[in-house]
Amino acid sequence: MATGYMGRLLRVDLSAGRLEDLPLDQDWLRRYIGGSGLAARYFAEAVRPADGGPARPDPLGPDNELIIMTGPLAGTPFPSASRFNVVARSPLSGIWGESSVGGFFGPHLKFAGYDGIVVTGASERPVYLAIDDGRAELRDASDLWGLDTYEVHARFSPDGWRVLAIGPAGERLVRFASIVHDRAHVAGRGGLGAVMGSKRLKAVVVRGRQEVPLADRATIDRLRRELIERGKESLTLQTYREVGTISSIELSLMVGDMPTKNWREGLWEEGLQALGGNNYNATILTGRRTCFGCPVSCKRVVRVDDQPYRVEQGPGPEYETVAAFGTGLRVDNPRAVARMNDICNRQGLDTISCGGTLAYAFEAYERGLIGPADTDGLELNWGDAGAAVALTQRIARREGFGKLLGEGSQRFAATLGPGADEFLMTVKGVEVPYHDPRAMHGLALQYATSDRGASHLSGLTFYAELGMAYIPDLGVEPPDSAQTSDGKAALHARAQDAGQALGGALALCYAGGSIVTGEEAVAALNAATGFDHSVEEFLTTGRRIWTLKRLINGAFGMTRADDRIPARFREPLPDGPAAGLVPDIERQLAEYYSLMQLDESGQPDPSEVERLGLSDVASCLAPAKAHPRRHRVDAQEGLVL
Amino acid sequence: MAVFKDASEVYLCIGGLFRRALTEPLAQKVSDSKISVRFNYSDPDSAITVDAKNPPPGEPYTIYEGDINFKPDVVMSMKADVAHQFWLGKVNLVAALAKGQMKAVGPIQSIIKLIPVIKPAFELYPQYLKEIGRADLTQ
Repeated sequence: MATGYMGRLLRVDLSAGRLEDLPLDQDWLRRYIGGSGLAARYFAEAVRPADGGPARPDPLGPDNELIIMTGPLAGTPFPSASRFNVVARSPLSGIWGESSVGGFFGPHLKFAGYDGIVVTGASERPVYLAIDDGRAELRDASDLWGLDTYEVHARFSPDGWRVLAIGPAGERLVRFASIVHDRAHVAGRGGLGAVMGSKRLKAVVVRGRQEVPLADRATIDRLRRELIERGKESLTLQTYREVGTISSIELSLMVGDMPTKNWREGLWEEGLQALGGNNYNATILTGRRTCFGCPVSCKRVVRVDDQPYRVEQGPGPEYETVAAFGTGLRVDNPRAVARMNDICNRQGLDTISCGGTLAYAFEAYERGLIGPADTDGLELNWGDAGAAVALTQRIARREGFGKLLGEGSQRFAATLGPGADEFLMTVKGVEVPYHDPRAMHGLALQYATSDRGASHLSGLTFYAELGMAYIPDLGVEPPDSAQTSDGKAALHARAQDAGQALGGALALCYAGGSIVTGEEAVAALNAATGFDHSVEEFLTTGRRIWTLKRLINGAFGMTRADDRIPARFREPLPDGPAAGLVPDIERQLAEYYSLMQLDESGQPDPSEVERLGLSDVASCLAPAKAHPRRHRVDAQEGLVL
Repeated sequence: MAVFKDASEVYLCIGGLFRRALTEPLAQKVSDSKISVRFNYSDPDSAITVDAKNPPPGEPYTIYEGDINFKPDVVMSMKADVAHQFWLGKVNLVAALAKGQMKAVGPIQSIIKLIPVIKPAFELYPQYLKEIGRADLTQ
């Protein structure tokens, strides 16, 4: 039995109300490590046709498995390794859904005796799962149903529970509903909160006092000391502490990465001044928070005293949220952004998809594709924070126009007729996070080929192009220029392997972990588990995990045709440092497919599948013949399902 | 071979950029930042300080070449070659800091504040080099 793990998963069948412990598969631990890698291997079992037929779980049906998985470093003294992953088939994209979360839940799940939880089925009545120092049980959640995530947190945290909960948006199956831990740490992307809601699982609460066994505690302690000392000298980590991820607003100026007005503009001086880190600190910041064992403290605490955007002291918006509700909508008021962040955290909404969907609606309104009769009388004009706040609340409650927007921008666009996708900013149905591939051309390839729809976190390509990922022993270094497509396919292939291994399998934080070398990451892995991974095997693990997710997506009907970027990214920006530039995505894709050994349909070549030791699982993940993600309009509901 | 043969060339080119900027809209941004920044260069050894904290009346900022007798808010250290490439807009600041090609010491918020301020200088620097007959350095 490898150390670093608690040695068991909890399998929860909500339909039957049955709980059982599953021992961890030792071979899979070696080959997938943990986090989203190990989760993908377990998830692949659920995609398998039980009878050889095309069994494909409905994202919002009882067969969809929701998996929560930690890594071997969670709960150990190694810094910035407290993250865990939540995965399921996404109701937003119809393919692999994955979200990484920080905070304290991952370590405390291990302290409670489990490495992960596999949830299947659906309960007839609302329930929550409690794991109390090794003892797990389902409990009635009738009195929790309808509460927001802060209220659920307040109910449990005084007794030492760590809480992972959905809000009303997840209960109402908003397709970009999130899962919220400790009010501030969010599994935001892909609508996994709706999966929990479909199962009527309101929350998972954990507490315990068990220790994570380690093969070599001394090495873990040494690495921690060294990294903390190095972190004191790191300008990157100092920036994360002082200004948080919001520093991206200022850094964006260097390359022209400032998505404004639904990605139509690349430079907004007033927005920079109003929304940047310095003004944020001066106007709404009241404190800083951190995750388990992390010395960085990049999390923001804010308070807004005055109406109409009053926010009680609590978690503040991070960069993506500031961009989504700020620059994306041309709202230059950090207090309004904090208010929208507060609504999303409480109600359980992904801020990126919410802001992206609002921006799409604002442009549809500007173009006359929708009018006040469609928007419950709201006028959607750029910069109107009041309208954005009102719509965010309606989306969470699925009221009026908010019901349609709660389907996400791609399904909303499908109701508007031809031409409506010209300004749709999604990849595989997932709203694009707020970094512009016209400013960083390799990011276009990352968006197009990410395992979960548009994501800048599916690998380290974005961080390399920005300049923050410098890990030579993993083959990841900043390119000479972000604004060229030359060499980006090779960079992305390497950075993807590294990212899948570091962030996916090891569940390391990309921010706090940005000072960790590849050798140190592998040393920590080996010290925790007793494995003898080399850096090379670690990178192969990253490739194996990405390839497995690609196979899973093939089973869900994804092909090369889905590897695309929004049309707007082929139009040059009119202003800013990236003006006049567009990525050559076709060339990057052609080079990438060759490097990754993907066939005409976009699936991994059998020889590569065999090299990676995936033949057993690949045979059960045959690509679906029919594309399962067609949208249709329901005549009665007016929704696209 | 280093771009600049001696400190006087550094002061002519990079120091001159700051002097040239005094007549540009960029000067107001530097002035508004109200911070002082010292650039320590090596190969050749030289130093330039831009002080927008205590400028003379009516001036946006003061430029010092060589030693100074006050503590600046921010100190940035790098090879003069890296500085030259930086002002040409060819160096990713974040990457240079990550790789150790540049070092910055000072309050992070002041350093962050500098970024929008210095950005316009990237266009001005090659233009200024041409004006002083050093177009050879813009390649």
